[in-house]
Amino acid sequence: MTTVRPSSLLALVACACAWLAAVGCGYIDTTVPPPPLTGPGLPGESRAVLTTARPNLRAALDDFLVRRPEPVQPIEFPHNIHVGKQIACTEYCHESVTTGPVAGLPSVRTCMICHNAIATDRPRIQQITQWRKEGKDIAWQRVYGFPAPSHVRFNHAPHVRAEVSCETCHGPIGQQTVAQRTVDHTMGFCVNCHKEKQAPLDCLTCHF
Amino acid sequence: MDRRSFIKLTAVSGTTAALASCGNPENQLVRFVPDEDIVPGQATWKPGVCPLCASGCGLTVRVMDADKDVVRDGQAGVVTIYAAKKLEGSTDHPVNHGGLCTRGQASIQVTYHPDRITQPLKRSGARGEAKYDPISWDDAVTELVGRLDALVSAGNQRALALLGQARTGHRALVVQQFLQRFGAPAPVRWEIFGDDLLRRANALSFGRAQLPTFDLANARFALSFGADFLGTWNSPVSQSHGYGAMRQGRAGIRGAFVQVEARMSQTGANADRWVPVRPGTDGVLALGLAHLLMAAKVGAPDAAGRAGALIEGWSAGLPAYTPDAVEKLTGVAAAKVERLAREMAEQRPGLAMIGGPALAHTNGLFSALAVNALNALLGSVDQPGGLSFTPQFNVAAAAKAAGPAPDAGASLEELAAGILAGGAGAPQVLMIDGANPVFAAPKAWRVRDALENVPYIVSFGSFLDETSALADLILPDHSFLESWAENVPESGSAVAVATVAPPAMAPLHQTRATVDVLLDVGRRLQTPLNLPWESMEALLGITFATLPPSTEGGDAWSEAQEKGGWWGALPAALVAAPSGAASASTVAPASGFAPAAFVEPQFDGDPAQYPMHLLPYASTTFYDGSAAHLPWLQEMPDPLTSAMWSSWVEVNPTTATKLGIRDGDLVDVTSAHGTLQSTAVLTPGIAPDIVAMPMGQGHTQFTRYATGRGENPASLLAPLTEATTGALAWAATRVKIARAGDPDGRLVLFAGGKNEEGRHGPGEEHR
Amino acid sequence: MPRWGMAADLDRCTGCGACVTACHAENNISTVGPYQAMRGRAKHWIRVERYWEGEFPDVRLKFRPVMCQQCGNAPCEPVCPTYASQHTEDGLNAQVYNRCIGTRYCANACPYTVRFFDFFNPEWDKPLHLQLNPDVSLREVGVMEKCTFCVQRIKAATIQAKADETELKDGDIKPACVQSCPAQALVFGDLNDPESAVSRLSESPRGSKLLEDLGTHPAVTYLSRQTQV
Repeated sequence: MTTVRPSSLLALVACACAWLAAVGCGYIDTTVPPPPLTGPGLPGESRAVLTTARPNLRAALDDFLVRRPEPVQPIEFPHNIHVGKQIACTEYCHESVTTGPVAGLPSVRTCMICHNAIATDRPRIQQITQWRKEGKDIAWQRVYGFPAPSHVRFNHAPHVRAEVSCETCHGPIGQQTVAQRTVDHTMGFCVNCHKEKQAPLDCLTCHF
Repeated sequence: MDRRSFIKLTAVSGTTAALASCGNPENQLVRFVPDEDIVPGQATWKPGVCPLCASGCGLTVRVMDADKDVVRDGQAGVVTIYAAKKLEGSTDHPVNHGGLCTRGQASIQVTYHPDRITQPLKRSGARGEAKYDPISWDDAVTELVGRLDALVSAGNQRALALLGQARTGHRALVVQQFLQRFGAPAPVRWEIFGDDLLRRANALSFGRAQLPTFDLANARFALSFGADFLGTWNSPVSQSHGYGAMRQGRAGIRGAFVQVEARMSQTGANADRWVPVRPGTDGVLALGLAHLLMAAKVGAPDAAGRAGALIEGWSAGLPAYTPDAVEKLTGVAAAKVERLAREMAEQRPGLAMIGGPALAHTNGLFSALAVNALNALLGSVDQPGGLSFTPQFNVAAAAKAAGPAPDAGASLEELAAGILAGGAGAPQVLMIDGANPVFAAPKAWRVRDALENVPYIVSFGSFLDETSALADLILPDHSFLESWAENVPESGSAVAVATVAPPAMAPLHQTRATVDVLLDVGRRLQTPLNLPWESMEALLGITFATLPPSTEGGDAWSEAQEKGGWWGALPAALVAAPSGAASASTVAPASGFAPAAFVEPQFDGDPAQYPMHLLPYASTTFYDGSAAHLPWLQEMPDPLTSAMWSSWVEVNPTTATKLGIRDGDLVDVTSAHGTLQSTAVLTPGIAPDIVAMPMGQGHTQFTRYATGRGENPASLLAPLTEATTGALAWAATRVKIARAGDPDGRLVLFAGGKNEEGRHGPGEEHR
Repeated sequence: MPRWGMAADLDRCTGCGACVTACHAENNISTVGPYQAMRGRAKHWIRVERYWEGEFPDVRLKFRPVMCQQCGNAPCEPVCPTYASQHTEDGLNAQVYNRCIGTRYCANACPYTVRFFDFFNPEWDKPLHLQLNPDVSLREVGVMEKCTFCVQRIKAATIQAKADETELKDGDIKPACVQSCPAQALVFGDLNDPESAVSRLSESPRGSKLLEDLGTHPAVTYLSRQTQV
């Protein structure tokens, strides 16, 4: 059992006094706010809320400590096989990246364009065919992407137009099966390339 | 240990502990397959029509992808949909020219409102308890069909009634045809701030039972009697666009603007001069000006034609309206009247407007006729810089539904009285389409009691409000972004306009377009109504195909769907006859209409007991209360007080001092019909004997954002009406006010600081 | 390099507040509700101010829409300890949310009261969240936010012009408030382009800046309301 040093005790008392003072002069509000606005309670009425607050402590800590647990995909999609069939990144699956900010993750509708007929005997194809029949889409987990508190608004299209190859930022996904995060998207990673290519460097380029 | 190690130890151990204690919440989100291929992150722009008022501003709607929460087969998940994200005014639209008012911007929240009715509902509790059970569309329509068939079997088709808003266009056509073919009376259309009185005056003066369009952009002088034309009256966005151009749109020319009203409105704040006038005497001032203009030979009496002839004494130069006589009646100094007349004579072209509180009196028709005569004298009718009437696309003719001119429907007062009187003709089935008279109508009309007595009520609205909460069956409409939307603007455009927009997004909920439901019901009746249109889309295709395309051999219907409407010069065959508008007061007046003379306005309440006049005005944020459920509008600071989420009573400071009322105090406002308590806001922009309250708060039932919030001034209103049209004289109620207590924090202001007492210090209150 | 600025013609402005709601819709500004609004936490990036003059019956009321003035000599910039409030080359005062640690010194320093703090995590009652603009960040608790001259629109238009290999023309970029105003009282554009509408309006003899004597060099010019009659 460690002894408590006088300075720690003093700090504790000081904190308590500060809190009391703050409450006393209204700086910290300890009154209970009125109950949230209530509605008539109709069938089908929504009570859910979207908020920037993290859903649980684990998620909050992940954000705070910048931890990105490795994503687990609902199905093991082999990039190498598809890229080996000469399907480019921006053909079919990540099309919108040439014209807009978002690369997107393909819906099972996209898979079924080919797999309605191709390789229908494979178990994974049968799995996605089953999902398609049930109306379930593939809940892809993002491998790349920036955490919300970094407020990055990345726009793919200018990078694609500048002929930055997909592998530059996403690594050799074309040789992987399930996509792995092999490139660390630190701010330095982006800034270095921007400096090199003389692309805009002010904060509002990405953070707004 | 030292501090640094202590901190590291607690951080690491705390983290580990936290991580260990939490479970492993893998992302359990189920994603469902979208109904169409969705391109993420890119916007498309689609046309739209704003539904919140009759102006019908054209929209462009920004549509992008969004993840919607759904439950399918008991499983919660998300599905990607295309969703409307932002509404902008359509740049080319002749009504709004790319602008969009605050209510229009907020209207997108109607589609996404958390308290929107998502499926058909059948009442399960007592009427008014607002307890409903879900029911399938098929069952719901079957039930309604059953009720209507029962009326037919009993030979009682006249017992079907419909109560709706005052709108024209395709939806109104379907409703009118449905009722006509069924054998029911014409729909009852009612809004508290309806302009039927002005339509009647225009019919008398100009042969057009229609709201006027003002060419402010080319005017040199605008005189408005009470019309909040930059905020809520007539076609505000169109008028604001013209106003901006009138002021600064012409090099070296700036139009002048004078507002005459007893309480400074948002519009009145922009006037070069604000002229307070006694309630109900605006017409006297207008004729006083006409008298001076005729005396100055600006126009001969017969220049005003029929409009002038309707005024007693017109041809003699209005001898009863000398400046002194006008001063006695209106309270406006004779010198001011003379100066105003001089300015109007010098700054041409000029126009006069009248609306809002100026017409909400028992002598409102006189005032409207007076202003019409003034306009005619100024030569402003159908001239640049003056007023005109938007050519109306004859939807009925284009739809080949022309028949005998439809009857005007009964008034709300008549409907309620008829129900309460009972008897054979009383409505047995009542349909409600967008009207909320239980909230806004005077209590003396006993609308709520009347509705309680109707055996069966069906509502098509998207929200539970005071009126629809009495319904037995709710068949919720799509929102305007989810269905074929259309509008044929009555005013606000120099050229004819027919606005149309395909659905901008798929329906969020299990709702159905009301027009399609009515057409379906019409087909499923035992004796089908044989309405010749399959759906709203089909009807629109038929009518728009009659319009001339923009290029030879083009297709007006496909052009209109892309552009958001059709506008231009209507071929004569498609122009609706001038007197044809769907409202109660468009019946041609009986011959021998006596020339109008000033009659003192009647007020309800003994002046000794009730010394003040109550002015329940249309609020810029809530209009008449129909937009109070939108959270952006609740939080938008009121233009004159910066109040949010609140009600208040505007009181003149001198009056307040006399009554011992300080800014922010609670006051009781009492009429002969009711009392309410609200917060006083002292403002110099109101006459000492007037108190004003915004309409729109005080809902007892209207979604989580508006229910139980603020006070409803309609609860104080007397049932005084204008004699010829039956229009409610909503500015004719007298009240008394008394201090009720210290501020209790219910008034929320965005601007200004408050001192220790929770009040605004002198000089701070209007920062 | 453009220098973005605005002109607000107070002779056209009618005080209708369309700009206020348009800004909320475009920039994902959450509704705080009556309780928090009472505590002064409503976030109206643009607001309409009202100035009363006189006593009844000689009363005047003037409206003025006020948004972040994007000051050339911004008092909010030197006081930020983390450089979250900073000036860009194209004349905007940037609020970089990820740098902000919520000292609120910038709001303290701002003489226009145009900076707002997120005192709590914003909430949207579903499905109102479907309306949220994906081009604009959702600000979490603890950061300052303010008018950005709709920087997302500026960036999008700039990128698109580069993609189309065209030049940006005056009037191509319109912040939400400018676009919605029914009276066309607000004008936005490049102050470095002498031909642009905003440049010409900024030279108007009716023009003045808000609290000009404080030396903040606002990028917004107000054209005074005229009187007549």
